[in-house]
Amino acid sequence: MIETGIPKLDDYLLGGIPEGKSLVYYIYPGVEGNVFGMQTMYHTVSNGRYGVYVASSTDPRMIREQFDEFGWNTDECGDRFIIVDAFSGLIGADSRERYVVSDPEDVNDLTQCIKQAMEDLDGPGVVVFESLSTIMDLCGESETLDAIEEWNQYAMLYDHAMVYNFTAWPYSEDTLLHIKEDICNSAISVGGISERVIFGQYFGILKADWMDVPRKCVLFKIVRPGGIRVYIPKILVTGPFNAGKSTFVHALSNRAVSVDRLGTTIALDHGHIDYRGFTADIFGTPGQERFDPIVKLLSGEAMGVFLVLDSTNAADFVRGKRMLEITMSFGLPIVIIANKQDLQGALTPEEIRKKLSMPTNVPIMPAIATNRDGVFEAFETLVDMVMEVD
Amino acid sequence: MTYNFGISRLDELIGDIGGGTNIMVIGPPMSGKDDIINIVAYHGLIDNNAAVIVSTREPGTNVLEWFGHHDTNIPMDHIGIVDCVTRTLGFGAPDTENIKMASSPVDLTGIGVKISQFFEHFWMDLQLRKTRLCINSLSTILMYSNLPTVFRFLHVFTGRIKAANALGVYVIEDGMHDDKTIVTLKQLFDGMIEIREGEAGYQIRAVGLTPKPTPWFDYEIDGVNIILRG
Ligand SMILES: Nc1nc2c(ncn2[C@@H]2O[C@H](COP(=O)(O)OP(=O)(O)OP(=O)(O)O)[C@@H](O)[C@H]2O)c(=O)[nH]1
Ligand SMILES: [Mg+2]
Repeated sequence: MIETGIPKLDDYLLGGIPEGKSLVYYIYPGVEGNVFGMQTMYHTVSNGRYGVYVASSTDPRMIREQFDEFGWNTDECGDRFIIVDAFSGLIGADSRERYVVSDPEDVNDLTQCIKQAMEDLDGPGVVVFESLSTIMDLCGESETLDAIEEWNQYAMLYDHAMVYNFTAWPYSEDTLLHIKEDICNSAISVGGISERVIFGQYFGILKADWMDVPRKCVLFKIVRPGGIRVYIPKILVTGPFNAGKSTFVHALSNRAVSVDRLGTTIALDHGHIDYRGFTADIFGTPGQERFDPIVKLLSGEAMGVFLVLDSTNAADFVRGKRMLEITMSFGLPIVIIANKQDLQGALTPEEIRKKLSMPTNVPIMPAIATNRDGVFEAFETLVDMVMEVD
Repeated sequence: MTYNFGISRLDELIGDIGGGTNIMVIGPPMSGKDDIINIVAYHGLIDNNAAVIVSTREPGTNVLEWFGHHDTNIPMDHIGIVDCVTRTLGFGAPDTENIKMASSPVDLTGIGVKISQFFEHFWMDLQLRKTRLCINSLSTILMYSNLPTVFRFLHVFTGRIKAANALGVYVIEDGMHDDKTIVTLKQLFDGMIEIREGEAGYQIRAVGLTPKPTPWFDYEIDGVNIILRG
């Protein structure tokens, strides 16, 4: 398997792209989807494998800088990071790359270079196309479609994985359908949520011929440095007064602010999490009853909920459950945090489950928010639950 | 949601231009098209519009300077420039608040991404509901990519202009392209601003925005104003 390096996508693909198979990132115009191919390239190469990057619309020197912007140092990968320069010839510039396509508008020229590069690799690797659509623009639709078939067959011979960034400009219906459905073993749609303007981005699997395709759609963001992150727009943290909600939000977040007065939250906590391929915005509610109207306001459109409880304060558990009602959290993924485990008399998660009579499908996890103990485990659990929702 | 060019006599004749309109500006070299397009953007900026400018001949910093030079009071954070020049000159310039770098004029995919990101930023973050997109110029883009490619690109982005109720303005050099190119591209636009060389200098008129073309006017560019005569 060659991993794509895209968070969640490798899980969905049961590990990645099998050797000898091909994958196309099918990108809605205007969405910064080329980063998918870049990330797959860098991930492969930094794992000690070979990667060939076919540059068709950017100067190779600029390409290295583009990788750098994400914190992906291509120099460190040495000669495992190989560029086929199908750009310089277009603007009549010199090239310092080993593989140079002298006439990028001639698909045979390109094919020859790509085949040569594939042969030269010392083991299975990945061949990533910066922009298949640019090649199609230069060489023609049917010529390019034929060439893709040839490249994919050649890759099969050498056990390389083929990865194409393809921007779905309005080519002929046939061409688009071919790319989406026929020509590659798998296709990932990289789309934009648009109304007036594009304001959100997602990916999902259209096709993967080695497995049953899960019907999943994942929001993502692109961060520099970092790359593609699965994006969860809203996670809610609620619970009784003084349970440790604000502490929990800050423990999870790379940066966070709280609107507090005299140590109690009067409006909200807002934090931003960037953790292991995930990015999320997290909102903590106040706990005191007099702020319940604010709690209601804050709780719309959450994708998952943490209920934070002070494990030493069983008297407030009912209030905790009540807050799940106020926030209308039932039906959403919920993880209960058995906080303050460091204190004398803290109840265990199982004791709390009994007292709350919570069904076993709601995880209750121990934590010490002041030390960040257990908070990331809880985050991973909730994220997994959120990603399971269709 | 309506727009004006900021070219007084023409505006009077044309009346308000509806949101979602795409207009071609076509004229000979040296006729001041760069200024004209900047002026159209400028008049949007002083009316609380956002301006997204794709620059294929001037580095983004020069374009930004034009605005700063003519009026220090305009909201600079409403300007977004897609610079297709600087990186082709071999400079590894990073993006800034106002300027996003495209790899080259070949990289229509990248240009499209940057335009979309500015649109999102102005609409979502700054809550600006009127945006002007100025592409200066299609002629450079056509030097690097063939007509079908450019047509596909424009097909998508004139559509986005409609969806966003924005105003799109696209510059073309007269005399640089064959008739087929011009005829093909014209299908995508709702109207044109035409410039020609007259006896006493350049003349301007609008076509397709009124039942009949407006008369030709002699004009002169004075800072951020286009003064029409005749
Ligand atoms: N010992 C211990 N103290 C904790 C822990 N988590 C939070 N605290 C303390 O509990 C107190 C309340 O924490 P906050 O995070 O402000 O609680 P909150 O739920 O946001 O409170 P309100 O907003 O007022 O409802 C603070 O003094 C924290 O330092 C923990 O795991 N162990
Ligand atoms: Mg609090």
